[in-house]
Amino acid sequence: MEASQGGTGKMVGAQVRRVEDPRVLLGKSQYVDDLDLPNSLALAFVRSPYAHARIVSIDAAAAQNQPGVRLVLTGADIAGAIKPLRVEYEPAKAPTHKPCDWPVLAQDKVRFVGEAAAVVVAADRYAAEDAAGLIDVEYEPLEPVSDVEQALAADAPLVHEEWGDNVMQTLQAEIGDVAKAFQEADCVVSERLTTGRHMALPMETRGCVASFEPATDTLTVWSSTQVPHVLRSHIALVLDFPEHHIRVVAPDVGGGFGQKGHLFPEEAVSAYLAHRLGRAVKWIEDRRENLSASLHAKQQAVQAELAVRQDGTILGIRGRFVGDVGAYSEYPWGSAFEAGHAASSLPGPYKTPAFSFEAVSVATNKTTIGVYRGVGLPIGVLTMERLMDLAAHKLGLDPAEIRLRNMIRKEEHPYTTIIGAEVESGSHRESLQKALDILGYQECRAEQQRARAQGRYLGIGIGCYLEGTAPSSAAFASMGLNLGGYESATVRMDVAGKVTVLVGTHSHGQSHETTLAQVAADELGVPLADVKIIEGDTNAVPYGMGTWGSRSAVTGGGAISRASEKLRNKMLRIASRMTEVPDDDLELAEGMIRRRADTTPLMPIKELAHRVLVQAGSLPRDEEPGLDATAHYEPPPSTHANATHIALVEVDSDTGQVTLLRYIVVEDCGTIINPTVVDGQIQGGVAQGIGTALYEHALYDENGQFLTGTLMDYLIPTAIDVPQVEIGHIESPSPHTPHGIKGVGEGGAIAPPAAIANAVADALAPFEVRVDAIPLTPERVLGWIEQRQAAA
Amino acid sequence: MAATQFTEYQTIRVRVNGHEYEREVPVRRLLADFIRHDLGLTATHLGCEHGVCGACTIIMDDESVRSCLLFAVQADGAELQTLEGLADGDKMHPLQQSFWDNHALQCGFCTSGFLMSAVDLLNKNPRPSEEEIRHGLSGNLCRCTGYANIVKAVQAVAEQSQS
Ligand code: FES
Ligand code: FES
Repeated sequence: MEASQGGTGKMVGAQVRRVEDPRVLLGKSQYVDDLDLPNSLALAFVRSPYAHARIVSIDAAAAQNQPGVRLVLTGADIAGAIKPLRVEYEPAKAPTHKPCDWPVLAQDKVRFVGEAAAVVVAADRYAAEDAAGLIDVEYEPLEPVSDVEQALAADAPLVHEEWGDNVMQTLQAEIGDVAKAFQEADCVVSERLTTGRHMALPMETRGCVASFEPATDTLTVWSSTQVPHVLRSHIALVLDFPEHHIRVVAPDVGGGFGQKGHLFPEEAVSAYLAHRLGRAVKWIEDRRENLSASLHAKQQAVQAELAVRQDGTILGIRGRFVGDVGAYSEYPWGSAFEAGHAASSLPGPYKTPAFSFEAVSVATNKTTIGVYRGVGLPIGVLTMERLMDLAAHKLGLDPAEIRLRNMIRKEEHPYTTIIGAEVESGSHRESLQKALDILGYQECRAEQQRARAQGRYLGIGIGCYLEGTAPSSAAFASMGLNLGGYESATVRMDVAGKVTVLVGTHSHGQSHETTLAQVAADELGVPLADVKIIEGDTNAVPYGMGTWGSRSAVTGGGAISRASEKLRNKMLRIASRMTEVPDDDLELAEGMIRRRADTTPLMPIKELAHRVLVQAGSLPRDEEPGLDATAHYEPPPSTHANATHIALVEVDSDTGQVTLLRYIVVEDCGTIINPTVVDGQIQGGVAQGIGTALYEHALYDENGQFLTGTLMDYLIPTAIDVPQVEIGHIESPSPHTPHGIKGVGEGGAIAPPAAIANAVADALAPFEVRVDAIPLTPERVLGWIEQRQAAA
Repeated sequence: MAATQFTEYQTIRVRVNGHEYEREVPVRRLLADFIRHDLGLTATHLGCEHGVCGACTIIMDDESVRSCLLFAVQADGAELQTLEGLADGDKMHPLQQSFWDNHALQCGFCTSGFLMSAVDLLNKNPRPSEEEIRHGLSGNLCRCTGYANIVKAVQAVAEQSQS
């Protein structure tokens, strides 16, 4: 770990209340729909009712004549003006990847229910939606591709004709001798799994406001986005508009969890219209649009095998993951990402000598798949952890024991995994052991036996994972994707010695105004209240990558630490001249320049700030004026967090209902910046993971018709469904990052499907059901029980 | 369907957070849109506009209601309270304070709805059990927090008022 040189280290690790809360609690926060610009027009999109259809004609005459309607545009109208969203990978790195065009308004055909075919611009949203209802689109329905099996059949209809088939990308790898491992194994277990089609479902839907100011020739887009600079660059690209005349502002963002990390067709259309009309326009998505036309996630069909020795030692793993990516590719990252991420995560924290996988991403006529908290990991971890339980069962080993035997040990760090990742530090066995202790594992097993005797079915399920957080630029480059993993920050001190931090991450609930301020406060030796964090305005903050991939604490924190270090060095250099104490004997702490050895205060920081910024004439001549510094921080190739989750469930064998009795997490995200915030991330992530495991499924019928268009159909957990998570912490700092920080944002959501599925399988062991699909809805679980009973 | 049938207007009078408003509104204007865009009280949020998420919860004549399921004209003559009316100036209501103390919000989008539902819950049942709090708040969805800290925050206020 790179220690903070200048600060007293008091704020990193402190349990401070959130700086951002009073604004929200007093109703003063500003989400994008709270912005009402004068003379603003509203947009409504006309969306396809068909999964797959050719557009024969569009008659907008009746809509055009409606009062309040300013303009109607179809795909044909904007074909030359807005480029389609097209994800390109470097062909040399991703030879099997097939790019496709995602037209911002459908051109010749529509490829999913909900695809935008036209847009209405009107005086307000009521008028816009009235008019949208009057637009007559004539479709010629085509046979839809409704699942991956059908998509891969030889005579399947094609989502993108130019591909020749429906495969977006196939990734394959074999490391070590897998065939030999399976030949030599004492025991082989295999699993076929299907997962639901989940989604991030932020409570605030997508939306943006765009306006154009002729006086400054500036196009401004306020968007509910996680990635302001990524948005700016890609709006410039698709509109062919000079990027230095575009400003993107992300105001308060009401959740994102991956979904809002993209440029969407609607944002491109909004920006285009603001420029074309010279008027502000607003597009706020409704919930039905969010459910049907934003991004889905995680639907995969998995086949995997595990080869072990008699004592449970892993010899080899192989897996095939087929991802149902939907109609297009999330822009600019690409939807084929997810299946590969799931597949390559299989070995997890377990030492694996031989591993092969295949990840096939298949296009269908559904909403496009995009990243959602944990991306492929929840599915990879579910698969591996099911296999571990199956192997333990077959060998007569305890499920905890087989894991402990195979996990990377503390003394083996840095450990290079089978896929070549260096696991720099961690606490795999320790976190499992601690979670078992919190649960009271042996007592729970005894309780399970007693309950079974009374006809009650309790189950204990373990889910362990290893997560590479904060991916680096090189990680993307190796996939053939030209996007950065670095982050940037500027740290400025003002005349009063207070600090403004401008950073390229963007909180959508992750508490950056607090946690990143804690980092800066320590680095510069000032009180927390003297630090202000600014994010989300591309005219203010240096070019950065935004918030996703459990990256902000590592990369935003890293950039702030590095920028602070530059500023601190300059301050100490100047202070050294003023105090005649060598600069390496000085430190910044508690608002003072102090002598390091005995902490004697020599001068208030604010006095130094005033001397440098205002009384600049007295500065040494070889010293530049000014008190700000910028740093661009590239994270290490890997920053690994780990955790163990344990679920204790009860399954009602008459109804199939799964009740969570207890849920335990022992996490290790390296150095904790703020324990309250980390616990909050875990609790919230687990709630989402419970949704993935038990309830959520975006459903289509065999015609590709979307069936879950309201929150009464797509069910997320409520206050009744989520227990208080019992959380334990272990801190294994990263040796490679400032303060030893690792990422934590996604972790909570990664292991619940594994832990809960294992717990349900354990509960239903007397019935010998095969838990091979999520979500574990009562209907599905009861079906398994009844099937087994009928067979018996 | 022609839009012209919706152009009828009606004048309504409402008291919101103690202020009297008289406005002419289209009869089909949602109460939520009226509060947010006509009165500029944007603390009330819309998460679904179909009555499920609870983000739009306000208090109308001492009852919590979903402002996305009402037309503005249905509030004619009513007394409304939104989040903006909860604090006493800058002094937070005990529930607001407790949400802050207990880290009961992350992105904050659902928070206004939860606070108004909690106000209603504690008005009707000043000493709810944890289970009653969970049931009382089960009509509000939060995608960030996993609810535990929200439940704690409400519990803490209920306990305070008992001591
Ligand atoms: S917006 Fe009213 S209940 Fe969701
Ligand atoms: S805090 Fe984000 S939805 Fe509740």
